[in-house]
Amino acid sequence: MSANPLKVEARGDRLALDAGRTPVASSEPGLPQRSLALRASGWLLVALVVASWVFVVSEPSAHVGDLISRETLDHGRDFLQQLAGVGEARPAYRDPGQWRQAARLAYRTLAMSVLAIGFATIGTLLTVMAGARPVLDEGRPWPRTLLFGLTRAAWIFSRAVPELVWALLIIFVFSPGILAGALALGLHNFGVLGRLCAEVVENLDRRPIRAVRSAGAGRGQTLLYAVLPSALPAFLTFVLYRWEVVIRTTIVVGFVSAAGLGREFRLALSFFHYSDVTLLVLVYVLLVFAVDATSVGLRRLAR
Amino acid sequence: MFELVDATKRYGPLVALAPLSLTITAGERLALMGPSGSGKTTLLHLLAGVIQPDEGRVAIAGRSTETLRPGRDLARLVGVMAQGFDLVPSLAVVHNVLAGRLGEWGIGRSLLSLVFPRELPLAQAALNRVGVGTKLYERTARLSGGEQQRVALARLLVQQPRAILADEPVSSVDPARAEDLLTLLVEVAAEDGRTLIASMHAVPLALRYFSRVIALRHGHLVFDRATTAVTEADLTALYDLRQEEARDVR
Ligand SMILES: Nc1ncnc2c1ncn2[C@@H]1O[C@H](COP(=O)(O)OP(=O)(O)O)[C@@H](O)[C@H]1O
Ligand SMILES: [Mg+2]
Repeated sequence: MSANPLKVEARGDRLALDAGRTPVASSEPGLPQRSLALRASGWLLVALVVASWVFVVSEPSAHVGDLISRETLDHGRDFLQQLAGVGEARPAYRDPGQWRQAARLAYRTLAMSVLAIGFATIGTLLTVMAGARPVLDEGRPWPRTLLFGLTRAAWIFSRAVPELVWALLIIFVFSPGILAGALALGLHNFGVLGRLCAEVVENLDRRPIRAVRSAGAGRGQTLLYAVLPSALPAFLTFVLYRWEVVIRTTIVVGFVSAAGLGREFRLALSFFHYSDVTLLVLVYVLLVFAVDATSVGLRRLAR
Repeated sequence: MFELVDATKRYGPLVALAPLSLTITAGERLALMGPSGSGKTTLLHLLAGVIQPDEGRVAIAGRSTETLRPGRDLARLVGVMAQGFDLVPSLAVVHNVLAGRLGEWGIGRSLLSLVFPRELPLAQAALNRVGVGTKLYERTARLSGGEQQRVALARLLVQQPRAILADEPVSSVDPARAEDLLTLLVEVAAEDGRTLIASMHAVPLALRYFSRVIALRHGHLVFDRATTAVTEADLTALYDLRQEEARDVR
């Protein structure tokens, strides 16, 4: 996934790379053959679907019948009624006090997501130049090559471990709470953002960068006057996009890191407070909507 | 100002520039001509110290380009201008112009200037000089190709190099503007006796605005003459060579 469409640079090494990529071979004279193959695979698909259903229904251990049995239907109806708070004097979602409580939790969840994406962004900004292939073709001393490898490895490691697993590990060290959750989310997204942003840097148009360098700028100045101004808008887009993903993951991480809406959600489920669950899900969905809308708005502003 | 001694550049088996020896004195206005792929850009890059020759040597103001690393020293000697693709589109015009001062500034001042532009009168004067004085705080991406070219020139004005190297400075500008731009380029170069070297596509413009012409083909020197000494025969030769070139491609 690249931020910019491929820039055709007269002699960019990228062009050479892409020229080497052969297009998917299309069997030219085989038009009738291909349609035969298509038809055959179509029939094969139908056969597979039928066979699968026959297998699933006839397999006694799959309990397919149970899916629509009287018992399941009863369970389902009961559950829905409980969620709706039927029979309760005052279901949670009609209690202003509960709403206030949920709003506080939503606020803490939001704080956790902002903190998380903040950690990830700071980490990315600090490492992105070390982990991106060089934008100036001036050769690179070996310590920088080593640093490059280490940074890449750190990114891969941190994004290979899912948020949930990070959270489980982190609560061994930190006390459970907002901070632990934010750290877990931040660590995973650090790896994701690092890679995305490094790709942005590598795909930048080299010409303005070289020009600023030849106007007498040092490395740091080239970064300030050419690399960052060109890359920051794309960075911002990725940060906001990851923020949307983070807010959707907060609930799961909150489960284990004992923070925000996720924690209450788990408690409500374990104590069978089903109408509380309804309220929490409602608030959570509102929160996700709000964050998505904000993110879209900010991204439009950045353009 | 510039001296090449048997300077050669190869890209794999391709000889981009065959051994070339040249002396260019300060204050000359030199046009590089030749069909595309003939090595004009390669020669300009060698002269700018951006690339190093595979054999032979290139010296700028008596110093070998081997010893001139990119940075302040090189920037004081040569300024490069390339088809207006050398500006940072997302920056305001003023910062693209002041980038010409980076060689003289420290990192702190450079950073501060992105928020509160330093040496503003200098940038304003340079932009006035090239005729885009009202665009100081405009985003560079919003300017037309010709205006961007002028901003690139304004950057050279604040950089104040001793030689200006321009790669096809007018090929992306319409003919009427091309004349204005060349007049400006020549004027700017004439101040302080700067050397001007530009690769040119249009023969009449090259003959009108420059004092010396170097013609290349397939990396080989075809002729090197004062503009006044360029004959019809020279041009016919180059023209015929171009025909031949076109046939080669087909
Ligand atoms: N970085 C490079 N890698 C490979 N070949 C190159 C490179 N730069 C130039 N060339 C080749 O060298 C020859 C001369 O190119 P160039 O100097 O750009 O010519 P001109 O500017 O006259 O069009 C061309 O054949 C070009 O393809
Ligand atoms: Mg060229």
